[in-house]
Amino acid sequence: MGETVKTIAKERVDEITRQTAEPAWLKDSRLKAFESYLKIPTPCNRDENWRRTEVEALDLAALNVVVNDSKEKQAAKEPAVVTAALAHLGKKLPYIYTTPESIEVGNADSALLSKGVIFCSLKTALAQHADLLSKYLSAENLPQPDFAENDKFYLMNQSLFNCGAFLYVPKNVVLESPVLNILSSGEETSIALFPRVIIIVEHGAKAEFVNLSTASKKQAQEAGPLSLVNSSIETYVGQNAGLSYLDVSDFSGNTFAVSRVYNEVKRDGSLHSSTVALGGWQIKSDIQTNLKEPGSKSDIRGVVLGAGSERYSFNTIQDHIAPDTGSTINFRVALKDSASSAYLGTIRVSKEAQRTDSYQSNKNLLLGSNAHADSIPKLEILADDVKCSHGATVGPADKEQIFYLMSRGLSNLEAEELIVTGFFRQVVQSCPVDGAGDWINELVADKIHA
Amino acid sequence: MAALQPILKIEDLWVSVEGKDILKGVNLTINPGEVHAIMGRNGSGKSTLSYTLMGHPRYHINRGSILFKGEEIGDLTPDERAKKGLALAFQYPVAIPGVSVSNFLRASVKAVRGKEIPVKEFRQELKQQMALLEVKDEFLSRYINDGFSGGEKKRLEILQMTLLKPALAVLDETDSGLDIDALKVVSTGINTLATKETAILLITHYQRILNYVKPDFVHVFQSGQIVKTGGSELSEELEERGYDWVTQELTPSGVA
Ligand SMILES: Nc1ncnc2c1ncn2[C@@H]1O[C@H](COP(=O)(O)OP(=O)(O)OP(=O)(O)O)[C@@H](O)[C@H]1O
Ligand SMILES: [Mg+2]
Repeated sequence: MGETVKTIAKERVDEITRQTAEPAWLKDSRLKAFESYLKIPTPCNRDENWRRTEVEALDLAALNVVVNDSKEKQAAKEPAVVTAALAHLGKKLPYIYTTPESIEVGNADSALLSKGVIFCSLKTALAQHADLLSKYLSAENLPQPDFAENDKFYLMNQSLFNCGAFLYVPKNVVLESPVLNILSSGEETSIALFPRVIIIVEHGAKAEFVNLSTASKKQAQEAGPLSLVNSSIETYVGQNAGLSYLDVSDFSGNTFAVSRVYNEVKRDGSLHSSTVALGGWQIKSDIQTNLKEPGSKSDIRGVVLGAGSERYSFNTIQDHIAPDTGSTINFRVALKDSASSAYLGTIRVSKEAQRTDSYQSNKNLLLGSNAHADSIPKLEILADDVKCSHGATVGPADKEQIFYLMSRGLSNLEAEELIVTGFFRQVVQSCPVDGAGDWINELVADKIHA
Repeated sequence: MAALQPILKIEDLWVSVEGKDILKGVNLTINPGEVHAIMGRNGSGKSTLSYTLMGHPRYHINRGSILFKGEEIGDLTPDERAKKGLALAFQYPVAIPGVSVSNFLRASVKAVRGKEIPVKEFRQELKQQMALLEVKDEFLSRYINDGFSGGEKKRLEILQMTLLKPALAVLDETDSGLDIDALKVVSTGINTLATKETAILLITHYQRILNYVKPDFVHVFQSGQIVKTGGSELSEELEERGYDWVTQELTPSGVA
């Protein structure tokens, strides 16, 4: 290791690319991002996008950049975290399991991975499918989400990404079951990981993808120095294509997790995305969805359960670029103890995007007496023929509901837990990823009882 | 036979809600095996009594006592009271979106009985009670009271009573909003709750349910008090004559 995020220099970026025998265009792309990264100041919580975060607590000089130079290999034994997920999602699903030291794949012989479907670690993808990737990763083809401009963490990832996964589903191929990408950031503290996930669903194709990020629970007990997991997730949903994406973050109390999700949906394509955040010192996530062509749709859901002094910050951006596009957002946050959350939801409708239909809802349940939630809707509407609505609530659990449940023998705590589970279930039960509803319910129940 | 201990003994109970006195000296004793009915005008404080018995935090007891099986329960939380064998069927049951009826019923039965019931056993018991109350299977997977019709909510309340088998079931206007057939079915359910060891306190506006569930005592509630007590004939009289004559009877003649 040796090098920290702060001291990392241009030579280092060179070295990463050399070490992994990356193509020249990728090196250019990394360096370009790195230059911008250097110029941009580190954000602080006075920045609108970073409100209620404690980004100042993250000391870049104390974070050692992980260099995982191992090769992708077959998993000798299914990791427990994978087994637990597969119990709900379906046995024998292909998975990639990444730790700071290793990259393992399992069930790669699954029939899902036929007909030209590619599902592998990003490292393998760069070695074997560089041309395909260059369409998405080379400097000139990079997407331009809001955060590409001025987001230090996004650029940090774009220049330093050092693990991740790649899914490619060719034209008209339908994946009936999900594939899994699992990151376990391990037990070590003071490390920085930069995962990058790229999902391409071509014209008329369908896919389900589960992205699970965890840390060792052992780490959770100790109040040691922070680690950084800074992820970038890009999804490209082609014409008439469909993607169901599920993201679960279940980190330890030492992880500062930043993620930038960029979704792009083409004509009549549809994206479903559910984000489940269940733990971390800080989770800061921006999810931008560009509805680029007529008829494209997105359904973005979020479930956040905070406890202790965990901090959450979610920004969603719905960018209606083309006419006749539709988006719904349903974000639900429940906070115990002195956990805090800020939700900033932007709906943007360009002048061309007539007949946009957009709905945004953010509900916050404050369970702890010191819990705090902000909810800020932001509408930037330039077209004149649009249907656009939003709503937000922040408040404690309904007292009459609690009384009702207690009158049936449940303790105050049990009553609250049941109400929270129900609060989330309304959003996750219909998650289109097979088996995900029950899985999330169980994860939520585990955390509530913790 | 040893002197029998009342299931409920309320003495001089004064209760306020948000600073406003609602109950003003309620006295009521209910013994095992008895069915009591309370009738009274809208706003006279009947639901306040039922909420107070169950321990709703909004209701403050300013004076008096509530003895349940000989034990003061005024300071107990609602779940503690439920575990002691007290249950309330609500006049207006709340909806809890996202929480399925079946999950809730299991959690509730487990909590009140204080032990895990094997899934199969519970299913069987549930099916039996549901058949009795003509509750359709699909209700189990629905969310608690969410989108239920008025009558369906009342049926679910009684279903819970028959599962929890409380020593004292307080039924707050369980008959309101039920159609004629449903009233019979629900009454059958209520009657299964009445045993030698248990008791029922039934709050109602209508004589009709009392044709199916025979009360031993009928009380008239007025301005936060029980002002008159009689046998089942009293409900018929009330049905016929309304509440005015009770009021007049209580007012010294000539005084307005
Ligand atoms: N939270 C409250 N704040 C103020 N007044 C209240 C509150 N709750 C109840 N009350 C008042 O207490 C009185 C008794 O209400 P309660 O619901 O007990 O009547 P009730 O006898 O059950 O009537 P009904 O037959 O209509 O059900 C009413 O005047 C009501 O307005
Ligand atoms: Mg009432």
